[in-house]
Amino acid sequence: MSKSLGEFRHSEPLTLGVELELQLLSLRDFDLTRGATDLLASLDYDGRFGDIKLEITESMIEVSTLPRASAGGIAADLAGLREILRVHCARNHIAVCGGGTHPFHRWPERRICSGERFDALYQRYGYLAKQFTVFGQHIHVGCTSADDAIWLTQALGVYVPVFVALSASSPFVDGVDTFFQSARLNAVSAFPLSGQCPPLANWEEFVRYFGMLQACGIAASIKDLYWDVRPKPEFGTVEIRVCDTPLSIESATALAALAQALSRWLLRTRPDLQVARQVHVARYNKFQACRYGMAAMISDPVALGQRPLRESLAELLELLAADARELGCTPWLDHLQPLLADDATDAAWLRGMQRVHGNLNDVAREAAERLLARPALEPREISR
Amino acid sequence: MAILATRSAMPDDLLAPLRLGWETLLERLFFLPPFPESIDSLALFSLLLVVGLLIGEWLHARVGWPKVIGYVLAGTIFGPSLLGWISIEALAQARPIADAALGLLMLEVGRRLDLGWLRHNPELLRSTLIDISLSFILIFSFALLLIGQSPAWAAATAAVTMASAPAVVLLTIEESKAQGVVTERIVLHTAIASAASFVVFTLVLGVIHAEQSEDWLNAVVHPLWVAVGALLIAWGVARLALLIARLLPKRSLAQVFILVASALLAVGLARMLAVPVFLTLFLMGVLLAQIDERQTLRYTALPEGHWLLAIILFVIVGASLPWQEFTWLTGLQAIGLLLVRAAAKAAALAAAGGSLPLPKRLLVATGIQPLSATAVFMAYEIAGLYPEIGRSALALSLFAAALMELAGPALCRIALRKSGETAGSETGKGGIG
Repeated sequence: MSKSLGEFRHSEPLTLGVELELQLLSLRDFDLTRGATDLLASLDYDGRFGDIKLEITESMIEVSTLPRASAGGIAADLAGLREILRVHCARNHIAVCGGGTHPFHRWPERRICSGERFDALYQRYGYLAKQFTVFGQHIHVGCTSADDAIWLTQALGVYVPVFVALSASSPFVDGVDTFFQSARLNAVSAFPLSGQCPPLANWEEFVRYFGMLQACGIAASIKDLYWDVRPKPEFGTVEIRVCDTPLSIESATALAALAQALSRWLLRTRPDLQVARQVHVARYNKFQACRYGMAAMISDPVALGQRPLRESLAELLELLAADARELGCTPWLDHLQPLLADDATDAAWLRGMQRVHGNLNDVAREAAERLLARPALEPREISR
Repeated sequence: MAILATRSAMPDDLLAPLRLGWETLLERLFFLPPFPESIDSLALFSLLLVVGLLIGEWLHARVGWPKVIGYVLAGTIFGPSLLGWISIEALAQARPIADAALGLLMLEVGRRLDLGWLRHNPELLRSTLIDISLSFILIFSFALLLIGQSPAWAAATAAVTMASAPAVVLLTIEESKAQGVVTERIVLHTAIASAASFVVFTLVLGVIHAEQSEDWLNAVVHPLWVAVGALLIAWGVARLALLIARLLPKRSLAQVFILVASALLAVGLARMLAVPVFLTLFLMGVLLAQIDERQTLRYTALPEGHWLLAIILFVIVGASLPWQEFTWLTGLQAIGLLLVRAAAKAAALAAAGGSLPLPKRLLVATGIQPLSATAVFMAYEIAGLYPEIGRSALALSLFAAALMELAGPALCRIALRKSGETAGSETGKGGIG
């Protein structure tokens, strides 16, 4: 059933919202387990930090913060949600874990959650729906107008490799090292409506384009578009969807802070996007970031050359310093600085754990402990 | 009994011409061994395996019953009570294999006993405690007041039947690839109730000595021997297993062998010292999980081959059931005991409350109904102390176990399926599986 796009809802500028898809693990062997429906049914929680809901398979849940003006607010919500999960997962004998993929689960063992939408997805995509048991972070940035949202969707598209490399936490799939830093996006790219938003100038063009997709029977609602960055009219936001779920909520907050500072800088300076050229290198650049992470070589279709992602990221963080100060999120961007080194990313940490323990069960156990570990400084203190 | 004796003699009649021919040949062919009077252990093992397997698979494929039921039926049909093709001697001969199979399964149940979960979930602690106490009290009262057993034998009946059957529960879960909160709670209830029943069992040993012979030395020392002996063997072998396993890669085949070999060592030591195998291996499993700080063996699973041993175990359990002593009165009493037991477990789960909805808690109560190998072995262990009285005193427990051998796996499977936690649960939605 096709659903009208409706009006683009007004949002306060640059408000943030974060969704994290999390893994539910058995405490016995740290393999994925089925337990999402029962865990959620047993929740005794008033929603004060945001929502906790089902995802497509019984081995995953999604937590989402409330809309917040600052990264500090996001950090506080995520910390609150983490405490709720800590208590309720322990009561249900389940571990909860970050990371973009589970290192060794067997996808045929996954169970699709009950629900009309999940059933429909399973019928439509078959085994792909079960293989979609991968875990991402989605970041919403509030926009004041629909046209700004479409422009920002295009503008953020250029920075997809940055978000992929910084969040990469899925080096293992099916029990093997994939050589990728983020193998999660390979599962996403199997879906026909994944990829980049086509070059569209404004909201009117987007509505026309989406109307065509509906008329052709390709997409029924905006949820069918699995784009890397997409507008979300009902929230009044632009949603960045390429991040792996990091191993800690502090990293998740830092990525949200980066999205906020970057969006502010983009909307403030309105650089020339060269969308028509960027579209030719977008897939290659995303592959580079997925495969090599910080060591990726990013193609520049304007300067006609390649540049190490690490170099451009270091420059970008400097460029955003003033906006980060204005937004009060400088400490969170500082959290990203160490990631510029190869061995400080989550993917490198997971590989390190594999080297230490020699097996992936312990890697998953360590990752689960890391998600629930309270940092030396509480997020509110960091954000001051 | 006469009919049974004739039936038991049938294989001898069949073998008579063969024996005659063999003895004729023996006069000419001096290399021939004497006519084999009993079947070789390996051949017996193979026969039990094939027969159990065929009946189990057939029932599973045709009627959808858990395979365990088929294995027990095979034992019952070919055992001393009916056809008599598995003789009492053959049963004794196969006992080490049954001990090994039960030992491995009890080891696994012990490893799954996660006391940390109880710490984090008071409702679970409440429901397991109510389950244990209510099951014991109601069964004890039933045996004492309605059946008229003496306090010691009523306590023995309660000790034997109060817990669920770890082996059946584990195999049914494995067979249906169940995973989820109901499954986890069934395992935990089973493990904790087993632990409680072992404690009661140990105490009952002393009480029976005191009641039957007023032999206070044995009344005190026997329970201590069993408890301390099992604990020492379990602790020593668990430590040894961890020590060796630490030298090997985690989850490697070599670690699997160490796990199995150390379990067999514990089984052997327990048999040598007349300490119950099920208790020793259960304790070893618990200790392995508790003292394994470096997670050395935490992820090392039993090999798929333990199914082979499980088949033998249940064929032997089926063959050990004393159907020849069946009377309608004992049958009715056993049904009464099972109803009381079922009511105790359902009431415990219902009364415990908590975050799990009542229908799911009742599914847990249904899933923990099985009563099987451990109960049978426990009953024979106690009955062996004073055979002239024990055998008849524990007939009630054995018949309850016999009935539950057939109904228990089916109930456990129904609970898992109704909870939607089995592997095939979503095919009803038209999924591609």
